[in-house]
Amino acid sequence: MSGTLLWLLVGAGLLVVVVRRRSLAVGLVTAQALLLAGVALRDAGGAGDVVAAAALAARAVALGLLFFLLVARTREPQRVRAGASPLVRTAAAIAFALLIVWLVPTMGLTSRTAERAVLTLVGFGLVVVATRRATLFQVLGIVLVENGVALAALELPGASSPAIEIGVAFDLLLVALVATVFHERIFAEFGAGDTALLRSLRD
Amino acid sequence: MTSRETLAVATVAVPALTALALAICPAKLLTALARFAAVATFAVAGALAVVALVDSGSPSASDWIVIDAAAGLLVAVIALVGLASVVASADYLAGSDSFVPSERRIRIYYLLLFSFWAVLLAVPLAGNLGAAWILVEATTATSALLVGFSGKPRALEAGWKYLILTSLGLGVALLGIVLLAAGVPGGALGQLSWHALTTYSSGARTALVAYLLLLAGLAAKIGWAPVHNWLPDAHSEAPPPVSALLSAALLPTVLLVAWRSEHSLASVVGIHTAEDVLIGFGLVSLAIAVPFLWRPLPWKRLLAYSSLEHMGVIALGIGFATPLALAGVAIHIAAHAIAKALGFYAATPLLELEPRAARHAVTGIGRTRPVLGAGLGVSLGTLAGLPPSPLFVSELLILAGGFQSGRPWVAGVAALLLSLGFLGLAHTLIETIGGKPRRRALAPRELRTVTVLTGIALTLLLALAAVAVWLPTSSFVDALVQGGP
Repeated sequence: MSGTLLWLLVGAGLLVVVVRRRSLAVGLVTAQALLLAGVALRDAGGAGDVVAAAALAARAVALGLLFFLLVARTREPQRVRAGASPLVRTAAAIAFALLIVWLVPTMGLTSRTAERAVLTLVGFGLVVVATRRATLFQVLGIVLVENGVALAALELPGASSPAIEIGVAFDLLLVALVATVFHERIFAEFGAGDTALLRSLRD
Repeated sequence: MTSRETLAVATVAVPALTALALAICPAKLLTALARFAAVATFAVAGALAVVALVDSGSPSASDWIVIDAAAGLLVAVIALVGLASVVASADYLAGSDSFVPSERRIRIYYLLLFSFWAVLLAVPLAGNLGAAWILVEATTATSALLVGFSGKPRALEAGWKYLILTSLGLGVALLGIVLLAAGVPGGALGQLSWHALTTYSSGARTALVAYLLLLAGLAAKIGWAPVHNWLPDAHSEAPPPVSALLSAALLPTVLLVAWRSEHSLASVVGIHTAEDVLIGFGLVSLAIAVPFLWRPLPWKRLLAYSSLEHMGVIALGIGFATPLALAGVAIHIAAHAIAKALGFYAATPLLELEPRAARHAVTGIGRTRPVLGAGLGVSLGTLAGLPPSPLFVSELLILAGGFQSGRPWVAGVAALLLSLGFLGLAHTLIETIGGKPRRRALAPRELRTVTVLTGIALTLLLALAAVAVWLPTSSFVDALVQGGP
């Protein structure tokens, strides 16, 4: 994969860390996943690769539709504040990504640049979950991590494994579906999809 | 496909097809269908477990299905706890609310329960790390809704934490799996059979990073400290039959995936390094759990912290990896499952008798309700490791295994922590059974189910205690030591 594409993927990931609007963040992770699916289709060397690329594309579209629908169904009366300001989130995300890139040795993917992009996306996903209070953003953090892992799978030296990749895509869809059920129940119960309201269980 | 593999497929297919049937079954037949299918699932899974355990010396392993001694043990545990959970669910459903509309409540509950049970039964049979990951992630999706099934704010919080933390952990584990795929012949996710992992060739340092990512991710699902935050919340807020499946079946099943990974990668990352990672998780889990065992916690929350302790003990046993320790691990998995499940089943009438028990420690149940007190006592006494509990024997075996493996300091620290945990739980046991009872207690609707389950559990626990003496020299433990899990 070219350096430009990798930068695009990483840039979209960083924007998810920064942006405030849920719909914009959904658009970014969906575009990121569609870009990955497009690259997978372009580089497909056989029927298995095409099936794996199709699974990735289907996952991207389905998740995007699901999340956009969720945003439309649960309009927040006021924006859910994040646990940290955009500047702090950006600094934390970049610092964390640099740390894990430094810590993790060569992974065996087709290029070191791709490996750095994978680790950066995973790091950004973890920071999103840790610093955002909005329920939807926490799910988007997980999708960001999975997009990073999907990039890693694309950069493996061997052929695709359609059974596994369809399974992974199906699992993520299931988890996202369950998360939307929880989001709607939390929204109905508390009037906002804000995890800061979920703090009654303490020892 | 061999006859064993056909049996393995049937073991997963029966509960999976039942879940589909429950979606379209007439409402008045739901409970009967669930009970009938639970017995059928138990029979098929039990047959598979017997085949795997009796013939443990000659395991069968393909790229997708593995049937060995460890799979036999876990399938037996999941089958037993699943059957008991279905039976115990009727009492729970008779007196509970849900966010699901009342006309669909029982249907959705059983549909989710059987889906969860089917996926759980598939995990120990997965012959491929990638497939095992998919199944473990699927257990999250199927069980999270069950955790939040009551729809109460605290249940929603617990379900959300469970979903997010375990999914995130499994995302990290998947990165470790992709790293491993890059180093095996074929370089693809579909090539990661347990045997293929032993051929990893991209260097020990990268393998170690992948192994650490994999175990750290799985730890979030197993509930090992320090990534256990979801565990006390989910176990305390889920319906009791679901808590039983989560604690007694799900945690050790995911632990088996970690065990298989450790066994396959030990030759690549170094045997001692691979074992030390497990021992580290074990000791930290024990150290974090023990202070909570001294606190007056609500019943289900106490059981949840006990799960943290026992998953730590099992991690230690696997890390020690001697015949004594592995015999202890096998006994520990089985006895913990029986005692913990009984404790959760007893929670349904307990919460009816004393609703306050959902938020506070219970006292004096043995005085006001001797039968229920007996159930709680058998469960807690066993979990504490009170002789002649099989967990007393298994903990001794694991500690002896620690000395046998040349790690006396680790075994010594573990013995100290286990003693402290025992004292904490023994104090709770005395208070729960013989303490001063609460005055305002309501009459519970039904005690027959928990009475029968207590009798069965007590019989099985005594049988396990007897088996524990003989197990270290058995061909079953030989199979675990020689062939791995």
